[in-house]
This record gives sequence, C-alpha cells and structure tokens, in this order.
Amino acid sequence: MGKRVAICAVAQIKNEGDLWHARFQNMLLECFESVMQQTGVTFDMEKGIRNVVTCSDDVFDARTISNNGMTDVVGAHLRGEEKMAQESLNGLGYAMASILSGHDDAILFMGHMKESQGESRRMVSNLSFDPFYCRPLGLDNMNMNALQARAYGQRSGVQEEHLARIVVRSRKNAKKNPYARENEEIDEAKVMSSPLLADPLRELHYYPITDWAFGMLLCCEERAKEFSKNPVWITGFANCMDSYFPGDREYVSNFSLKKASERAYKMAGIKDPKKDIQIFELCDHAAYQLPMWAEGIGIVDEGKGGAWVDKGGMDKFHVNLSGGMLNGNPFLLGGAARAIECFYQLRGEAGDRQVDGVKKALAHGTYGAAGQHQAVVIMEA
Amino acid sequence: MAEYWGVKVGDIFNTMPERFREEGARDVDASFGYDIAGEGKWKITVKGGTLKVEKIDDLSGCASIMLCDGETFVGVNTGKVDSVNAFTSGKVKVEGDFGAFGKTAKMFKKFVIGRKEMSTKDYILDMFGSLVSRFQPQNAKDLNATITYQIGGEGGGVWTATIKDGTCELKEGHVEKPTVRLEVNEASDWVDVMLGKTDPFSLLSAGRAAIAGETALALKLGEIFAKYQPPSSTDGEPEQELIVLKKTIAVNQRFATGPVMGRFLNALKEKKIFGTKCPTCGRIQLPAREVCADCRVRADEWVEVGPKGQVRYMEYVYYASPDPLTGETRETPYGMLNILLDGCGGNDTFAHLVRRDQLDLIKGGHYEISGTRVRPVWSDKRVGSIFDIKYFEIDE
Repeated sequence: MGKRVAICAVAQIKNEGDLWHARFQNMLLECFESVMQQTGVTFDMEKGIRNVVTCSDDVFDARTISNNGMTDVVGAHLRGEEKMAQESLNGLGYAMASILSGHDDAILFMGHMKESQGESRRMVSNLSFDPFYCRPLGLDNMNMNALQARAYGQRSGVQEEHLARIVVRSRKNAKKNPYARENEEIDEAKVMSSPLLADPLRELHYYPITDWAFGMLLCCEERAKEFSKNPVWITGFANCMDSYFPGDREYVSNFSLKKASERAYKMAGIKDPKKDIQIFELCDHAAYQLPMWAEGIGIVDEGKGGAWVDKGGMDKFHVNLSGGMLNGNPFLLGGAARAIECFYQLRGEAGDRQVDGVKKALAHGTYGAAGQHQAVVIMEA
Repeated sequence: MAEYWGVKVGDIFNTMPERFREEGARDVDASFGYDIAGEGKWKITVKGGTLKVEKIDDLSGCASIMLCDGETFVGVNTGKVDSVNAFTSGKVKVEGDFGAFGKTAKMFKKFVIGRKEMSTKDYILDMFGSLVSRFQPQNAKDLNATITYQIGGEGGGVWTATIKDGTCELKEGHVEKPTVRLEVNEASDWVDVMLGKTDPFSLLSAGRAAIAGETALALKLGEIFAKYQPPSSTDGEPEQELIVLKKTIAVNQRFATGPVMGRFLNALKEKKIFGTKCPTCGRIQLPAREVCADCRVRADEWVEVGPKGQVRYMEYVYYASPDPLTGETRETPYGMLNILLDGCGGNDTFAHLVRRDQLDLIKGGHYEISGTRVRPVWSDKRVGSIFDIKYFEIDE
C-alpha cells in the first residue's frame, strides 16, 4: 500500500425535501465556513488551499458548467477550481489522486444538489440517455431500475417483503442521524401498499427528492495534523464504468461494482471485506439495490440477497446505519453522504448509530442508469 | 468492345428497357438512330409508351441520328462528359430532327455505373475527363498558359490544357512550347498523386516525374484545378438523405433566490439598487452576493447605490443572442453597458442595456475619464427581476 490521504474535516447541511428558502450558494456557504472553522486552513498559495474540487449537475442547476455559480462561496476565486460532473465519490477519488501525485497538499472538496428545483427528476435522468434511440422511448433511471429490480428479484429471491423491510429499516436508522432527511415513520404494510411506479418498484422503494450540500478537507499524510487531531484515512479508491447503451449490459451481473471493489480492496490491502471492514455504506437509490450492491462488494454470496436480508445480514454487517440513500440524499451526492457517515463512524462521532471498534469502512457511490458506473472508497481510522 | 469508366457502349443500350420511363415517352412516336464510331449502330423505336431497341445497320426511317465516338457516348450517358460541351465542341452530331432527338433525354433514367474497381486507365480518363469542370477561373485570373500532361506507362497519354481569359480547354496531344510540361513516367504514380496517396515532390525527387518550363505554374495547379474526387461506389445512385433531428431540451425549474438575491430583487421593485459591502476590503458587489470572493468573508452590509452612474464599458450588438426566456431574437443593433453606479468603485460595475436610440451618443469611460452619465428607466410593473429596469438612458 502506498501513501494515505487524510480527510481532516467534513461538513454538511441537513438533508431536506425542499430548501425553498436557500439557493445552492447559501447551502454551500454554511459547509464552507464549517470546514474553515474546524481546520483553520487558509488560502495561502504556499501553505493553504490551491485547488478546490466541486461536484454538481448542470441540468439540476440549469446552467452549463454549473460550477461557475459556486466559485465565490467555496473560496475558489483566483485559484484552481475543477468540477466533478459525476457521482460525488469520484470527486473524493479525484482529490485523493491530486494529493497523491504531489500536485496539491490540501484539497477542498465541495458539492451541492437541489433536486427540488427541477420540475421532474425523471426528466433530468431521461436527458442522460442517448438522445435519439433511448430518450424518445421514455427511458429514465426509474425504468432502468425497474428492469434491474425485476431481474435481480428473480435471481436473488428478493421479494416484496424483503423490499418493505429494507425501506422500514432505512427510515428507522435515519431517525438516529441528525443530518438525515426527516421522513414519516412507516411500517411494512404501508410500503407494500404504496403506489407502483414501475413494477416491481413502488413509490416507497425509491429515495425521495432531496436537497443537500457538503464540504470536506483532504490533505496529504505529512500535513494532516496541521488541520485535524484525528484525521480519517483514505486507503483505497477505484471506480468502473460499464456500457452506456442499456442493451449492452447484463443488468444483474454487478460487473462494474465487482471490478471497482476488487481494485479498491487491492489498493487498501483488504483480503476479506466481511472480516476486515466494519461499516458499509451503500448507495441504495432503490430498495432492491441494497442487497444487490452487497453482493457486488462481496459481503453476500451471489444470488443470495434475499436469504441475507432474512438472516439479518444488513444489521450484522452494519450496512447503511445512516439510513442510506434510500432515506434521502440527492442523486449525485449519495457517495459523499456515504463517505461522511463512514468518517463519523471511524472517528467515533456517530452518536446513537456508533458501532464500537470501527477500524475500516467502505463507502460506495453509483451513477448512471442502474449501476452503470460504480465507485468504492475504503476509509480507515 | 472498348470500356470507358468501366462501361461498354452496349451496356447503355442493353439497359435501356429497364431504364425506360413511360411517363417521359408518352407523346413520342418515333425511331431514333445511334451511329457510334467503331462500335456499331443502334435503333430505338418508341410508340404508344413502349420501347424497342435493335442493334441494326439500317437506320432508315429514324427521326434523328446521333453520331459520336464510344467514349463520348458513354461519357454523356454516365454524366462523365458534359453533354452541352459535347455538342458545342462537335464531338456529338445529330442528323435529322434535332427537336425530336431532345425528347430522348426524358425517356430514360440515368445509367448507373456498376460497382467495380477502377483501373489506372479508368482513373486517368476520369481525371482528364473532369479536368475542365474542376477549373477554378477565380484562381486563374490574368493567366494565359498551356499545360501539357505527358503521362507514361499503361493507361497514360498526352493532354494539353489551355487556359485563356478565364476559360479552360483540354485537348489530347502536344502543343508547341507549352508554358509548363509535366512528365510522369508511370500513369499509376499520377493516379496516386491525384488521390492524395503520394505527394508530387517525392515523385520529382525520385526522378519518376519532371517539370519542364515554368515550375512556379506547376506548383499552382492545386489552386487552378479543384481537387479530383474519384467516383464513389454509390456514384449515380440517389444520395442517401442525411437526416437532421431537431430536439429541444427543457426541464422547467423553480429557482430559490435565498436571502441575498431575494433582497436585491425585492429592492428593485421599490426602484432601489442595493449592493453588498465587504467588511474587509470595502468593495461593493453588484448584484448583491453572499460573500466577497476576494476576501472569503460574508458581505452582509447592505448599501444603496446609484441609481445613476457613469458608463464604463459599452458595445453594439448586431447579432442578437435569443432571449433565453422567450426564445425571441432581440431587435438589433442594441447596446450593452457596464455602469459604475454612484457609490461603487473599482471594477464593481452593473451590467444592463442602453436606450436604443441613444446608442451613438454613449461613451465608455475608464479609471481617469468619466463615461456618459446614465440613469435607469424603471418598468411600470416591477416584479423583482432584472427587467424591473427597462434600460439605462443618458442623464441630462
């Protein structure tokens, strides 16, 4: 294993369904000020932040190169500013690479998304498909998730009851997370009677529309103590892109997630994730994805997702104690939210959710339709 | 029977029945003769929308008889030789009723050259056959010159192009003292040059080609003649329609303004312009924003500025950017301004439009010189938008 990269501080606002009273600049500014205050980092060109990585989505922000609206509030004025127009976990990987290369000592990593702003989240995801062959058919992420959910259910034995349990558990866990979106408490019967969006996906199987922003300070190992007494370390990162055209992919193969996690494990020196990692935060946009991604990262045998849920695997392996994506994080930022939860757990600051003796944690992020693109970060105390 | 561009004279006649257009022959009741030098004679008879094609020596009773050589006949029928040029140059002659002969053009669909590999000879014929049509008179102004191409080897020959008064003529054979003579030992080398596979300089340096006479003119041939385009494999077939797809992408949005932008827009409703002042450096940003980007601190002191000011920068717009909200194109010319509102300093200017009829009267300024003084013209109905100010006009 090579050098480690430190996460010295994280900041976030509470996940909300509709932050009608703030624009994204206001959301980011809170996070920015919190990171500055926690770390005392400066923008000195020798000793401080020379480069800021931001994460945002052009369509949700309704502006091309949408980072143009955020440079002021993230301190990026008159220095490097680079946008990750991808799942936020890749921004973490990118910042890590900038530091490991020696180009930067410290990187401020900021992200925001207001899903409430667009008239339809589905219209936005429709735009991510090929404009000539797929968009006109009405393909969007929800369609793709339904195709995948059905295929996965058949293969893994994940049934309606399992999905209901996953949703109810997510909301229960989120109650212990002060930054989680506040959702109504529900029981399994309510999940199973919620409207079908695209069979087998029901409304409550799907993550709710959410606004959120975050910030992090990453730093090289040599200087981490300048900004934090107890930094958390990134020791592994990898991502993998599967085919863009839906017809080119096997929806339940977990191809890209297996590749990404294998490479992240190798970098972090992890032999057996079941034994070596204590916290797993998975990017479950829809309920069926939680056991499916658990298979992909290798903590559940392939095709055994249903039985794993039955046997209490989600609690045994400490999966999504934050409430997960399913409780509500904006689409682009699910991975950053997962990493932030891992950060709290590794520092022993996870409050009522805290697990004892957490040494290693896995944060997962996925983007593109039905897990096309996958990223995995391994973090250590 | 010889082939030209891969086509025999007989192919043209043999495909006439399948290329026959009844609708083009509706009013025709006549026979037409063809006397193709060295190839033979053909007679076609059109009557009542039917066609008969015969290879026959007796052309009596034909309304008209076309006389030409095989190459010209194939060239005209395949579009390789310009038919009007062929007539005016005397390569094609018509005996008898010329008017009746003209009708034959409408009776047949175009002959399509089959897909086949072109030989060196085919290429050479096509290159010189198309030379006159590739002539670029605008690049040959005041040029009087004769250019001889002496192409050796299989498929070669000698051609001379005469350029005079903006026209170009091509003849086979040598002329006395051409302005420049290109000598290429092997026809296949010349084909490679014309297809861009070899550059002419490597041929010259290898001694496989030579230039006699005005070398400078030889170097200009690429401008005098448009690049040779070989016939494509679909030559003669209708071109595939290249479909253009029009799409509009739109997702309706509902923007929060937040406490700072919201307050700025609300003030416009009251005909007031507010900036936010940086507590560290004192600059006033317009429109009001959350932080001073330079100092990275919240700029939460509100200062009313303007509404009058002086023009710092201005421009005339002749090609309008469409209005993003309506898609409509603005009337041009219009002028955009950056105005240093009273109370502001440095580069903290405010962008807006200028009254159209005052475009010519506005002068920009800089640090030392004050620009034209302007004032806002407010909209009667103000809703909290940038167009609560209609434009700025000269403050007199």
